[in-house]
Amino acid sequence: MADDPTRLGLGNRIAMLFAIGGLLVSSLLAISTMVLTRRQLVESREAAAAAMAVGNATRLSNQLTPDSTIEDLPTIADSLTRVEGGKRIIRLGDDWLPAPELDRDDLPPILVQRLAQRSAGQILAPVRGDSHFVVGIPLTAFDADYYAVVDLVEIEETLEDLQIVLLGAGAATTILAAILGWWASQRTLRPLRRVRSAAEAIAGGHLDTRLAPQADPDLDRLSDSFNEMASALEERIYRDARFASDVSHELRSPLTTLMAGVGVLEARRNELSERSRTALDLLIADLERFNRLVNDLLEISGYDAGVASLDLTEVDVVRFLEATVATNATLSLSVPSATQSLVIDADKRRLARVMANLLDNAQRYGGGATVVTLEHGETIQIAVEDDGPGIPKLERQQIFDRFARGSAGGSRGGGGGTGLGLSLVTEDLRLHGGRVWAEDRPDGHAGARFVLELPLSPTYTNSEMNH
Amino acid sequence: MRQHLGVNTRILIVEDDERIRTAVRMALEEEGWEVEETASGEGALNAFTRQPADVVLIDIMLPGIDGFEVCRSIRRMGDVPIVMVTARADSHDVVAGLEAGADDYLRKPFDPKELSARIRALLRRTRTGDVPSPRIQVGQLEVLPEEGVVRHAGIEIHLTRTEFRLLVELATAEGRVLSREDLLERVWGYDYFGDGRLVDVHVRRLRTKIEPDPANPRYVMTVRGMGYKLQG
Repeated sequence: MADDPTRLGLGNRIAMLFAIGGLLVSSLLAISTMVLTRRQLVESREAAAAAMAVGNATRLSNQLTPDSTIEDLPTIADSLTRVEGGKRIIRLGDDWLPAPELDRDDLPPILVQRLAQRSAGQILAPVRGDSHFVVGIPLTAFDADYYAVVDLVEIEETLEDLQIVLLGAGAATTILAAILGWWASQRTLRPLRRVRSAAEAIAGGHLDTRLAPQADPDLDRLSDSFNEMASALEERIYRDARFASDVSHELRSPLTTLMAGVGVLEARRNELSERSRTALDLLIADLERFNRLVNDLLEISGYDAGVASLDLTEVDVVRFLEATVATNATLSLSVPSATQSLVIDADKRRLARVMANLLDNAQRYGGGATVVTLEHGETIQIAVEDDGPGIPKLERQQIFDRFARGSAGGSRGGGGGTGLGLSLVTEDLRLHGGRVWAEDRPDGHAGARFVLELPLSPTYTNSEMNH
Repeated sequence: MRQHLGVNTRILIVEDDERIRTAVRMALEEEGWEVEETASGEGALNAFTRQPADVVLIDIMLPGIDGFEVCRSIRRMGDVPIVMVTARADSHDVVAGLEAGADDYLRKPFDPKELSARIRALLRRTRTGDVPSPRIQVGQLEVLPEEGVVRHAGIEIHLTRTEFRLLVELATAEGRVLSREDLLERVWGYDYFGDGRLVDVHVRRLRTKIEPDPANPRYVMTVRGMGYKLQG
């Protein structure tokens, strides 16, 4: 599973890839649009400026006379074609006719030198900080030059606007791509998610869970294989469970004979020799244990085969616990003083077995249960405590496993348990929608405390009301 | 330990497994009862027709006529106490057995001492016991505990002994609610942990006999979360 927090899930990764792709494509488009547009705009501006400059230079040349002085120039210059954002600087001999806010020092030196060699030129250069297009044309008939300085401010403004638009579009594209990617990944992952929930359902005991056929042939193969696997698993588990169930069931008949036969012997134990009586006692004790083992196995296999069901009746938990502790003189019951009765729908037989198993467990490993506590709020909690050595933290989970008895199991208690008691407790609680766990005693003393938690308004996985 | 409730107390065992049959017969004979055994449903009906027993013990899984059918047939012939023996753990068999007319059930394997206790409880039920009132009237229902007679609107109703004991317990409670556990203890002799379905199914059977409309009972009322009560 994706437990590594630094690793993104497949869905997020796909969304991120889409976003990166969207960003790249939109950036590429924006940059090329910018470059192309700029070139287009600048070129047309340049062409227009150059054409105007050539026209103006010709007209200037025509209107100049060899006697013209710098004083004549403004008049002539006023008749020249103007272009918005365009300015002109004219040299006549050593005199310069500057434009407003612009004089000869602002002209690019390269261009001035070029014109000094009597050849025309044009250049894109910064003038007073802004990008300008400067055309210089020498008037060959006179010792004069005509410079046109055209600013590109308008173009830059247009390009700035375009840049904003393109940036916005790029961002929108990236976000859209991320959303599309997320959506696509969710769509792609939906069948996988169905597989996941089906697998979880099977792991949770719903062995008959299957995937619906998929419309997509690729996915169909996945769901087919999944379903085949689930069927094989189900059949195998049922076969094992049925076998255990059949074996336990077949044992019931001979056990009945054995118990009735031993009963006859017990009724006539006075007729038996001392030696036979000892043998009979051994028989009785182990027959009892055998009987419990068969019953527990039968119950367990019922859970495994998924056929265990609750026989629900109304159970008053207070009276139930009173009746439970009544079987044991050293056991006390603690119930909230305000609680007169607490009726739930439950399987009394299973609850009775749960309590019997916990009390038996306390007897076996904790020197006998000392107190049973009832608390209730949103759930019902029944705790069984003993004065024994307690249960090591590491074993608190594993003691609920089948045939697991913890480290104390080998040395204490003297046997007699089936090793299935606590796992049956777990199953019975689960069937009721509750749970069980072991913990330390809250008063700080040594000893084990088992807590049963039952829902107050139980939701049953498999219910059967007999009313 | 042994209680001789009568030299002539006869128990009929219907069980197809020969070894179980023999062992159970021997265990019951230890209690001083006379035991007749048969291996099939047909044999059971023949034996019962020939000489009715005081208690019948029927295994549900029988070849030929099954235990439920034997139970229904014997029930038609009289109100002899019937104990069902079931090997299956599921609740269906238990409820079906009780609905077929069984008074109690045991699950294999059972302790013969438990079987004897069940039989003794059923035999006790055949006597009317110590009942404080000679006549109880609830609505149109008239219960005469000492005579074992119930009448509704003057017409006598036939109840089995268990149904009758159940009705008498409810009637003597004078409208108080009796929990399933109370009834299990008073009618069947169980402790708190007895099976509440015994009560539920018998109440259902009782209603079909005494209620004008068993689906909407007006005498034997279910009190949610508490139990049952008899009201007029």
